[in-house]
Formats: sequence, C-alpha cells, structure tokens
Amino acid sequence: MPDKPKILVVDDSIAIVNSLQSILTISGYSVDTAFNGSDALRKIYKNEYDLVICDIEMPGVSGLEFLSRVRQDFENSLDVILMTGYLEHDYFIEAIRLGASDFIRKPIDTKQMIHSIKELMFRKRSRDDISGFFSILNRASFDYEFNVENFTKFAISKVFSAHLRHRFKVNAEVLNELLVCVDEMVYNAYIHGTLGLSVEDRALGHDQLQSLIDQKIQDPEINARVLRLSFSIDNITNVIEITVEDQGQGFDYEHWLNQVKSEPILDIKEHGRGLSLLYHLSDKIVFAKQGRMVTIQKSLLHTKKDES
Amino acid sequence: MNIELVFSGDIADMKIDGILNSENAHVLQERLTEVMQSDAKVLELDLLDCRNISSTGIGKILLFYKDFISKGGDIEVVRSSNSVYELFTMLKLNQLFTVNLG
Repeated sequence: MPDKPKILVVDDSIAIVNSLQSILTISGYSVDTAFNGSDALRKIYKNEYDLVICDIEMPGVSGLEFLSRVRQDFENSLDVILMTGYLEHDYFIEAIRLGASDFIRKPIDTKQMIHSIKELMFRKRSRDDISGFFSILNRASFDYEFNVENFTKFAISKVFSAHLRHRFKVNAEVLNELLVCVDEMVYNAYIHGTLGLSVEDRALGHDQLQSLIDQKIQDPEINARVLRLSFSIDNITNVIEITVEDQGQGFDYEHWLNQVKSEPILDIKEHGRGLSLLYHLSDKIVFAKQGRMVTIQKSLLHTKKDES
Repeated sequence: MNIELVFSGDIADMKIDGILNSENAHVLQERLTEVMQSDAKVLELDLLDCRNISSTGIGKILLFYKDFISKGGDIEVVRSSNSVYELFTMLKLNQLFTVNLG
C-alpha cells in the first residue's frame, strides 16, 4: 500500500492548525505542522511533503513570501494552497502571479478543501510518473556542453538541482552538499580554466569582474573554448559521479590536493578553499588531463556530516 | 538566496537564507559593502536558514572580515545551520570569529 500523502499545515493560529490536523488525519493524510513561515521553510528543505496549506497573513515570513521562496527553489514541484479570511484583489493577483496552486477561504469549507487536495494530488501523481521512470533505471547519465558566451545565461545550480530533486528525489541535505560541489567545480573551470583569470581577479567587485570577463571573451582563443559538465547516477550503488572539464591550461592539482588533505586552509589571503570543500564533501576526487578535468563521486544516501 | 540587513545602533544584523554560491555571491558583496560604509561596529550574521555556502561566498565574507577588523569592527555568527557550522569549523573560520550553532 502506498504511503499516505504528507501535508504541511502552516498557520500562526494554534486552533486552526489543530483543527486542520484533525480533519486531514481523519481524511487519510499524514500531517506535519508549522506555526510560522520561517519554521515552514526550514521543514520543507529538510523533509519531503506532497502539499503545503499555508495561511497568507502571518507575522514574519508571510504566506506570499513563503510561496515566493517555494517557487524559487522548488519551482512547481511542491503545491501550495493559500488560506485567508478575506481575498483582496491585489493579494489574489499577487498570489496567482507567484504560483499559488489553490485558495481556501476561512472559515474553512472542509468539503471544498478535500476536493482541492484530491485534485492537486492527482496532478502530482502524473508529475511523479517521470521520477518513477528514473528510479527504475540501473543508471542514468547526462552530458552538457557550454560555449563561453552562453555559460552565464543560466544558473547551472538550478538545472542540476531540478534534475536531482524532481527526477531522482535526492535527499535535501545531500543535494545541498552536491550543489556546493558542482558550484566549486564549474565556477573554477569557468573562471580559472576557461577564462584564465587569477585568484586576484576573482576577488574583484562584481562589475569589474564582469567587465574583465567580457574582455576575455573577445579573445578568439578563449571564445572557442567549451566547458563540459556530465553526471551519472547509479541507482544500484546509490552513487552520483560528476565530471567537469575545461579547455584551459590546467593546474598543479597534486600540490593543492596534498595541502588540503593535510590541513584545511585558514589564512585569509590563501586560496584553495574551493578544492578543500570539494575534497571534504565528496567521497572520492580524481583529477585528469593536467587538472583540466575533475571527477567526484558521492553517496546519495548520506551527507558527510552523517558519516562523521 | 535572500539577504535581510537591519541596522540598530552600531550593530548590523544580516540574515541569509538559502544557498550562497558563485551565482549570487555578488549580492552578498553589495550588502557587505553597505555594512562597511555604515557606522556599524559589529556584524551579526544569522545563518540558521542558510543551507550551505560555497567558497566564493566564504571568500566574500573573509575579504569583508579583513577590511572590517582593520577599521575596528567585529563579526559574530549568532546562529548557523548544521551544514554551515560544519563547514565553518572544517575551514577553521571559527578561529577568526565566534560561530554559534542553531
């Protein structure tokens, strides 16, 4: 028998939360609760929910702000029903614009709420069919190649995160560590490998750095370079392997690896913190092609924190 | 990633939510510049809802730290998530300034 759908109920009124918890539990749902938006955000990043029912008017992080953060990080994979005592026109428009899945008026009409939940669960099941497909594969691989000019047009972390969260249902804490690893690998390959910028250049202010990047891209040799990101997920061993390759000069990776293996770097002026993070957050790290290619492996089942 | 910055007296309270990485580190840099240009003597960082920080984000904090202490300022991480606390400890940043968990 499949697990009960899990719903997070968020309201600053204890009475409303308790009442909804009772109704939803009787209706066959597993219910978790939060009494403010910040607590709700913490919970959705830590646990997996099928749906959130959230009050709009709450002190601190409001229902609309909560919705906006959910859409930023979860896109449309997590449905949010907003509830309110009144629906002002402006609120309503803003909630639609932010991507509210549905609305519930207070006092709550139980029948209408359950109907709305069932509709959203039905749509979610269709979306989950895709992740069901990916979960039965022994192994799945993805390869991306970027040219220098198009590289910064999309946030790589969003693409990578969407793959792992929606298709492979990777645990949120493991995903956070993987996102840091990918950021270190890709950013270093772009800034130092592909563009050939120095550590000092990297510390420039945003506008100065951007203008330096624009200049570098005009160089035909640099402009012709590409950057490759590939990752594969083995569902049998539950290991992800990520490889990033650039076409730059490479670097003395053995020197840096020996350094981060013996002692993490503290000196403010020193560099190598990215490599240190990569070394400590992954289970295995391998460099090839004179440092132009780096591969890491990491378990999808637990974080490095769990291991220590 | 979202940053809230509130000044009260000579204290700057900065709350960072989400993942701080190379794609958004420039936003942090801009907010830290605001702190540097203010009369704040202490920067209190609330990183409880910061899920992780990449080296680019840490680099921005350390560059700020260097300039801020040279003008008599101080940094304290008043709250941090488990992952950020682990990371700061691993990189020994807790030897530069106080890092509190939770």
